[in-house]
Amino acid sequence: MTLDAKIPAGDLAGKWDRYRFDCKLVNPANKKKFTIIVVGTGLAGASAAASLGELGYNVKSFCIQDSPRRAHSIAAQGGINAAKNYANDGDSIFRLFYDTIKGGDFRSREANVYRLAQISNNIIDHCVAQGIPFARDYGGGLAYRSFGGAQVSRTFYAKGQTGQQLLLGAYGALMRQVAKGSVTLYPRREMLDLVLVDGKARGIVVRNLVTGELESHAGHAVILATGGYGNTYFLSTNAMGSNVTATWRAYKKGAFFANPCFTQIHPTCIPVHGEHQSKLTLMSESLRNDGRVWVPKQPGDKRNPADIPESERDYYLERKYPSFGNLVPRDVASRNAKEECDRGKGVGQTGLAVYLDLADAIKSRGKAEIESKYGNLFEMYEKITGENPYEAPMKIYPAVHYTMGGLWVDYNLMTTIPGLFAAGEANFSDHGANRLGASALMQGLCDGYFVIPYTIGGYLASSSLGEASANGPEFSDAMAAISDNIKHLLAINGKQSAISFHRRLGKILWDHCGIARRDDDMKKGLCLIQNLRAEFGNDVRVPGDEADFNQALENAGRVADFLEFAELLVTDALSRRESCGCHLNVDFQTPEHEALRDDENFSHVAAWEYSGRDKEPVLHKEPLVFENVALTRRSYK
Amino acid sequence: MNWFIETISSSIGKKLLMAITGASFILFLMIHLIGNLTLYFGKAVFLSYVAHLHALGPLIVAVEIMLLILACIHVTTGTFLFFQNLYARPRRYAVKRWAGGRTIGSATMPYSGFIILAFIVLHLSNFHFVDLSERTIFDVISTHFSSMLYVFIYTCAVVVVAFHVSHGFWSLFQSLGANNNKYMPLLRVLGLIFAVSVAIGFGFIPSYVRFMI
Amino acid sequence: MSRTINLTLKVWRQNKANPGGFETYEARSISKDMSFLEMLDVVNEELIVAGKEPIAFDHDCREGICGMCGSVVNGRAHGHMEKTTLCQLHMRHFSDGDTVSIEPWRARAFPVIKDLVVDRSTLDEIIRAGGYVSVNTGGAPDANAMPIPTEMAEKAFNAAACIGCGACVAACPNASAMLFVGAKISHLSILPQGRPEAAKRAWAMVTKMDKLGFGNCSNETECEAECPKGISILEIARMNREFFKAAFF
Repeated sequence: MTLDAKIPAGDLAGKWDRYRFDCKLVNPANKKKFTIIVVGTGLAGASAAASLGELGYNVKSFCIQDSPRRAHSIAAQGGINAAKNYANDGDSIFRLFYDTIKGGDFRSREANVYRLAQISNNIIDHCVAQGIPFARDYGGGLAYRSFGGAQVSRTFYAKGQTGQQLLLGAYGALMRQVAKGSVTLYPRREMLDLVLVDGKARGIVVRNLVTGELESHAGHAVILATGGYGNTYFLSTNAMGSNVTATWRAYKKGAFFANPCFTQIHPTCIPVHGEHQSKLTLMSESLRNDGRVWVPKQPGDKRNPADIPESERDYYLERKYPSFGNLVPRDVASRNAKEECDRGKGVGQTGLAVYLDLADAIKSRGKAEIESKYGNLFEMYEKITGENPYEAPMKIYPAVHYTMGGLWVDYNLMTTIPGLFAAGEANFSDHGANRLGASALMQGLCDGYFVIPYTIGGYLASSSLGEASANGPEFSDAMAAISDNIKHLLAINGKQSAISFHRRLGKILWDHCGIARRDDDMKKGLCLIQNLRAEFGNDVRVPGDEADFNQALENAGRVADFLEFAELLVTDALSRRESCGCHLNVDFQTPEHEALRDDENFSHVAAWEYSGRDKEPVLHKEPLVFENVALTRRSYK
Repeated sequence: MNWFIETISSSIGKKLLMAITGASFILFLMIHLIGNLTLYFGKAVFLSYVAHLHALGPLIVAVEIMLLILACIHVTTGTFLFFQNLYARPRRYAVKRWAGGRTIGSATMPYSGFIILAFIVLHLSNFHFVDLSERTIFDVISTHFSSMLYVFIYTCAVVVVAFHVSHGFWSLFQSLGANNNKYMPLLRVLGLIFAVSVAIGFGFIPSYVRFMI
Repeated sequence: MSRTINLTLKVWRQNKANPGGFETYEARSISKDMSFLEMLDVVNEELIVAGKEPIAFDHDCREGICGMCGSVVNGRAHGHMEKTTLCQLHMRHFSDGDTVSIEPWRARAFPVIKDLVVDRSTLDEIIRAGGYVSVNTGGAPDANAMPIPTEMAEKAFNAAACIGCGACVAACPNASAMLFVGAKISHLSILPQGRPEAAKRAWAMVTKMDKLGFGNCSNETECEAECPKGISILEIARMNREFFKAAFF
């Protein structure tokens, strides 16, 4: 099978316009006859469901939380990019496109990224119209700031809660459609399988998390907006409920999984405190605008930060990258933090942390200004650590944050299964091997508000789709299989909790396929994962009933999928014989320890096809063609 | 449903009723207090105030009827709110600590309200529905307050009223929406001053009459 | 100073078969750096290994923004620390040997699903009644077409910071949802984008709230004191104004 990305022909800037003109339209009167299933209510899912509802489609919206407003997009702090050039500092659609492509280390598709940059401006306009309380300057215009990996100020924000405000906007739009009757909400439902009829995605089976009942839902197309798989690492900045189950089960039904090894490690998180830690908390990277990252020059220097004089501090990012300084992209910042800690210069109790110091900014600009910008972040830091960041520098360490990989999609955001679309973090499309700050919100909303509503229409108008019934044999087979699976999990009756397996899986991945990867480690990691999966199958204990609200059961199902998925992640990492973006294989690096790409052999998307239980997945390559940018080595010096 | 009925039967509408009627009582209390302060200047001054008041004739009757209607609204709405609020939490907390928002005044509003209602009935029967053909109102007052029991009941009742208005005063502005971060502290302080004035102004009358006159 | 503490937990357990009651658990060797939910994780893991049903509690982001978690701990919504969600409450604020009572939010409008998990879909229903600006995707004017003063944006933001956790309802002596509703109505009525629908929205949301079985507001201000985002009761005053505009004009 060759992967056809279905990129429209012609010049880059005109592709999206031409696509929209060529795209078949669904007659307005017919729209309500089409049922579209949207799984997930984060930025991508909620905005897609709302926009499709506005167009008149009959939409069913599912989420695992008690309300659509809880989706983890809500936790995004820093901001959202748009090529508005309000700052008059040289920004343009092409520059945003270029920065994103370059930031992704030339492992994303030109056409998709350009469309993203074009649409970025519409997103801001729309969000302002929705009443999102963005920060403003004194003249009443939108305030903006610069963000990691960019030298222009194009990031719009609402204090440190931009994701929350944008999500609540999308949630409001969604609830408006619920009130109109075009969207039906199904909260506390977990998608456990995708159902194909005649090779096309026609529905899903979900478990009602309150009653434990399995429910079938049929439709004409399915959109997965179920987020990323960062929680495979157990400790990540993702929410506890974030999981890979929906995309993983779609993969097992034939959707290709692209670039699973591209896992972004965010540089500014609060360091790990202990064994029972359940998640890591991100400190917005906007802090790097005013904060300076440093470690003591002397390894093992355990003095109080205040007692270490300027001359004995190493501001290593400013030293190594004079032009970008503390604003280097996330992968570079993370890698350097790990390197410094590996040299024994790490600070704090565990030695796994570096300082992020805002003392200079507080001194030069006053506490009040810093407080108005970062007050809520400082508060959060103090709550978690019990230390006051106005007085002592914050300690930070990298943590798994975002996953650039995801279901393979074409220009339409359709996966290799006709009728199955993937939006937001769940797809792989726009960020290549590394995502720039403030781009995730942009992509989620771009997919949901502005791309999927067009492309899904094109699919529906050009496909002949008969009626699919939720009582059909495909659905009852899927339900029976899930039910067996659940019964099996409950019956193992071993001695260990699912979370303890998850914790061990996370440790294996972090140690063997984390910030800097080695072939030997990864191979060893694969064995460890396989052993752990076998142990899980024999020794997990899941108490409670199937027909009940049973969080232990929910979690066990998700951990089972993580255990399978982790193997694909490491397999992909092993097969990419180069370093790029967040994927650093230590065998492929420059003398200065920078990622060394192999554009000749690896300028492609690695899309994996499921080939059956305990069988090697099949690798398909989508070559990446760069017509508008020259492939350069990223340098932030 | 008629828009007006719909409005006043809504939760905010009920707050509005409580606030408007409450505001009227506060106004009434102020006037009542100013009038009663004449007692501290002796019998002659007090009786001259009473005479002036009664000279208003039908206006007084109108105000009395008005107050009666307002009282009915205040009490009925308050009772309704009390039971509705109980109904909104069918199972109480086994352990509950207040976070610092509540005051004694606010926490006891319904109870102090019912006590005040009982007190008003007593008060009216003591001083309003009395035969004044052969004695002055001052005589009635001094007769009643010669009893320590009455002094005690009236003093306590006034304290209860003070607590009730300590919450009621600023609260009515909040309910009316006439509150913002500029005026909030002022309203809180004025409410406190008013409550204290009520407590002192009215509160010492029984003792004053009992012991000083 | 010891880095760990031991606690006795009195936890509300309720399910389809059990109408509800307190059960006692020991939480041993709890690190002071743990969050309250991580402490519950530890207890739950022991229960799972023992083949018993773990304590059901809602949680997701564990960084105080999703609004999913929340229980009444020792009589206080989200525990005794100010402006904190339960996931942000750290064990360093407890002492060795403490007895901790944990109950679900209690309100007629929030029926218990299991143990500490309650159904807060009534909050969604209120938003559904009008908690949005009626604008369709596409065709919005340029984002800077309408200047909005900094102060106004900040005021709106402060109201918009609500995470919909329901602590205001849980803490209110009357189980009223006025702070939640007031916050959304305020956020949208402060901004010019929300002005055209402000009165209609206030009317729709308030009357919906009334129908859902929440109590009435008696200005006790417990909601403000417990709100993890520090939302002010002045948002309620603003909602009242908007409601009166809708009703009388």
